Amino acid sequence: MMTFFFQNLVNALQWGSFYALIALGYSMVYGILMLFNFAHGDIFMVGAYIGFGVATGLTALASAGAVALPHWLVLVLTILISMFLTSFVGMAVERFGYRPLRDAPRASAAITGLMIGIILETANLALLGARRISFPPLIRSVTYDIGGVYVTNKKIMIVVVSIALMVGLHQFVRRTKWGMAMRAMAFDFVVVPLMGVPLNTIAAMTFALGSALAAAAGILFAVAYPVLDPYMGIVFGWKAFVAAILGGRGSVLGATLAGFLLGFIEIFVAMIFPSTLRDFIAYSIILLILVFRPHGFFGEPYSARLRL
Amino acid sequence: MALLKVTDMSHDFGGLRAVNNYHLEIESGEICGLIGPNGAGKTTIFNLITGIHRPTEGAILFEGQSIVGLQPYEIAARGISRTFQNLRLWRHMTVLDHVKMARYSKLGYGLVGALFGSGRCRRQEAAIEEKARGLLDMVGNGRFAQQMVPNIPYSAQRRVEMARALATEPKILLLDEPTAGMNPEELAQMMRIIRTVHRTLGLAIFLIEHRLKMVMERRWCDAVDGK
Amino acid sequence: MQRPFRFADVMRSTFSQVPFLGWLLGGLAAVTVEHLVGFQLAGLLGMPRVPVLFGCVVMLKKPLLIPAAATFVLLVYVVPACVVARVSAPITNRIASRLLRFPVVLPVLFHLALLYGILEMWSDLSAYRDLTLRLTLISVMLTLSLNVINGYMGEFSCSHPGFMALGAYAASVFTLGLFANDRVFGPAVLPPALGSFVFPFGLFLGGGVAALGALAIAVPSFRTRGDYLAIISLAFMFIVKSAIENLEVVGGPRGLSSHPNWATLPAVFFWTVACVWVIHNFVSSTLGKALNAVRDDEMAAEAMTVNTRKTKVVAFLFGAFWAGVAGGLFAHVLRYVNPGTFGLQKLAEVLAMVYFGGLNSVYGSIVGAVSLSLLGEALRPLEIFKWIIIPLLLILVMIYRPTGLIAFRDFDVKRIIRPRDGKGEQV
Repeated sequence: MMTFFFQNLVNALQWGSFYALIALGYSMVYGILMLFNFAHGDIFMVGAYIGFGVATGLTALASAGAVALPHWLVLVLTILISMFLTSFVGMAVERFGYRPLRDAPRASAAITGLMIGIILETANLALLGARRISFPPLIRSVTYDIGGVYVTNKKIMIVVVSIALMVGLHQFVRRTKWGMAMRAMAFDFVVVPLMGVPLNTIAAMTFALGSALAAAAGILFAVAYPVLDPYMGIVFGWKAFVAAILGGRGSVLGATLAGFLLGFIEIFVAMIFPSTLRDFIAYSIILLILVFRPHGFFGEPYSARLRL
Repeated sequence: MALLKVTDMSHDFGGLRAVNNYHLEIESGEICGLIGPNGAGKTTIFNLITGIHRPTEGAILFEGQSIVGLQPYEIAARGISRTFQNLRLWRHMTVLDHVKMARYSKLGYGLVGALFGSGRCRRQEAAIEEKARGLLDMVGNGRFAQQMVPNIPYSAQRRVEMARALATEPKILLLDEPTAGMNPEELAQMMRIIRTVHRTLGLAIFLIEHRLKMVMERRWCDAVDGK
Repeated sequence: MQRPFRFADVMRSTFSQVPFLGWLLGGLAAVTVEHLVGFQLAGLLGMPRVPVLFGCVVMLKKPLLIPAAATFVLLVYVVPACVVARVSAPITNRIASRLLRFPVVLPVLFHLALLYGILEMWSDLSAYRDLTLRLTLISVMLTLSLNVINGYMGEFSCSHPGFMALGAYAASVFTLGLFANDRVFGPAVLPPALGSFVFPFGLFLGGGVAALGALAIAVPSFRTRGDYLAIISLAFMFIVKSAIENLEVVGGPRGLSSHPNWATLPAVFFWTVACVWVIHNFVSSTLGKALNAVRDDEMAAEAMTVNTRKTKVVAFLFGAFWAGVAGGLFAHVLRYVNPGTFGLQKLAEVLAMVYFGGLNSVYGSIVGAVSLSLLGEALRPLEIFKWIIIPLLLILVMIYRPTGLIAFRDFDVKRIIRPRDGKGEQV
């Protein structure tokens, strides 16, 4: 029983790290611009596809003998290059989808985000066709048996890389000048630009960072489940959005924790109940949490001063 | 018996005591001013009386009945109406609709009537429209009736708030700095309106005004209630 | 100084005097022409059959047929409609001003009857048109009911597909249980002849169940606005979908089928008109305008005696009721229903229609739903590129008109049906 529990704990950690990485993107953008980037789930998908392209290219180079690359280095390079490339997708989405709508009602921006998501999916479908493509196996799977709990090296890698990225983001936001500008902007995006902090640059950078994290999540996901399809971002995107809300609007720590929590809920619900009930129970739990804690775990109560 | 009687009212925001042991008695038809420096808690007193905040301690009696703990709309429907210091108008509604909206609690046609446009609904809508136009004329806003609120001048917006507050048929009117940001001409007009309202409708008026000079010199107030 | 000759000016001066009644007559003339000579004309122009959607599909599928399709549209629709509308203008203006003397219900019913005649004759020619038309009318209901919540009240509700699913399933269970020999629900209880009379009760039941479900969202909405409501309603939608998938009684993921064919064009038309009429009445009454007050400034609304909680609950229940009715009709139009239909895609579709057409406007919802439905059908030959063009169009609308094409406009029936000969302009 205990091994069963730990087995699922490992799976939940892996599953939760995907949610957490994506949820971070939602939460950061919300922190700065007070809106949710509904195209974010599809940026996750685009990141996975870019990762596929990069990985294929690198393995082709390596096998052609042009450069001698060990497998782990191919993976690291794939992640880094894809994160870099995907951040431009994020910036483009900000530039053409959200910047013209900065003064518009936020619901309009939400609609634009949804539409950009559809365009990204369709463009992918048009470019690569409707077939599912399989991600090249970059690392050989090794299974360790720790007291009856089976852990693969992939799972360890995924959890470690995710946590490293989250710590890195945290350090970036806490330590650097840009991170400070982002935090200031999250505090007040009317006054802070007047102090000489360039709103557009910060907004673009936030999108770039969020998209890079989503790309990392995409590649890690592809390493674990190496089948890609153009609609893979939808379910993940919405669930990560739920996690971002659950964590509290704009709270980076909250998004991380809620991402993991969502992973745990889903895995453990599937462990106890038939898997068809997974969504039903997971969303019911979320609904209950939000009814009793409407501002999420770390969100600022938004009308605390007023009883209305 | 006093129309509005507040005893020992205190309110804390977190650890900050914003209002401390406040007392007030207003008789029907009386005008009373509330003065004090910025941040003294004048608007908080209004918010406590109108039910936006619930006082930490103390009692508020209106016509002899306690109104502590009632929802703001219930308090408003009993006859305490107010204006806001920073205008709180509805951006996408016409001036006329603002005044009609304040008749909400007096509507007698119910949801079914509204859905099917019953005769009763149409008659009542016509009646409140007439009443609303009357009030708009009274505050000198008749010509703006069909305008959207953001399109009319600032002082006219203040008068819309006034007409809107009157449309709830209050027994006491709480005015939160009714002349803030007005030029002398507009100020004189607003004061004329307040006097007219006081005289013709016989309301009690409780107003916040921190231009001490005005409160004293123009002999508006029967009692000045400082802090 | 002479103004330069402009085609637009000429058109405006020629047709500005045609009342709505005239255009209805023109439309009637056009569909009559199509009925009489459409088939022969299409053959003469080298087309295999009458173009179904004003030639759009044909033009995109076979570019060589563009001239033929354009000629067809011109000869069959544009010319008869314009000529009849213009020629009859003096008479129709007189009729329109005569009609205005009656209580407004009568002229409206008269216009609606004509409109229905046009739609009936147009859709009579092909089953495809009939289906498209009915689905379009249903999306008008959906869009309008979502506009009550998202536009008039200014919340961001994502649960409309959930309400629709509740309505669709409740109505389906009702009809299948009473009138069909079904595996699950047993043999028919009532004779099928009663069907058309009992069907409205099924729809009411669907709407009622949806409204009941809406309570689950309305209550949390007291405490929060905007984002959290969006997520609560989204969770609600997923819960409904997942619950239905797990209920074997209603067919689980496979859904229900073999609905009787009761959602015919007259029925759908009737319900759509009823929906538009009731929602219009509601939002133009002071009771309904309380929604706007709550949206624009909740605190001021409370201070002006508006019971904001009641207002929110009513708006949610009302919007959900009509979504449920639309869902019930939807199930009976397609004659099957499965939970997969009511997911994120449906949500994106309805949201797009609401925000494209315009918030806080009955007109806007009608325009948004009709134009996006027809556009979706017309661009079908482009296959997946349709899903690039429509989103791009929406993004452009959002950028240039952030609240939609026709937002914040009152719907005034008397203005629509008034005569336009200069005598009745003041109406």
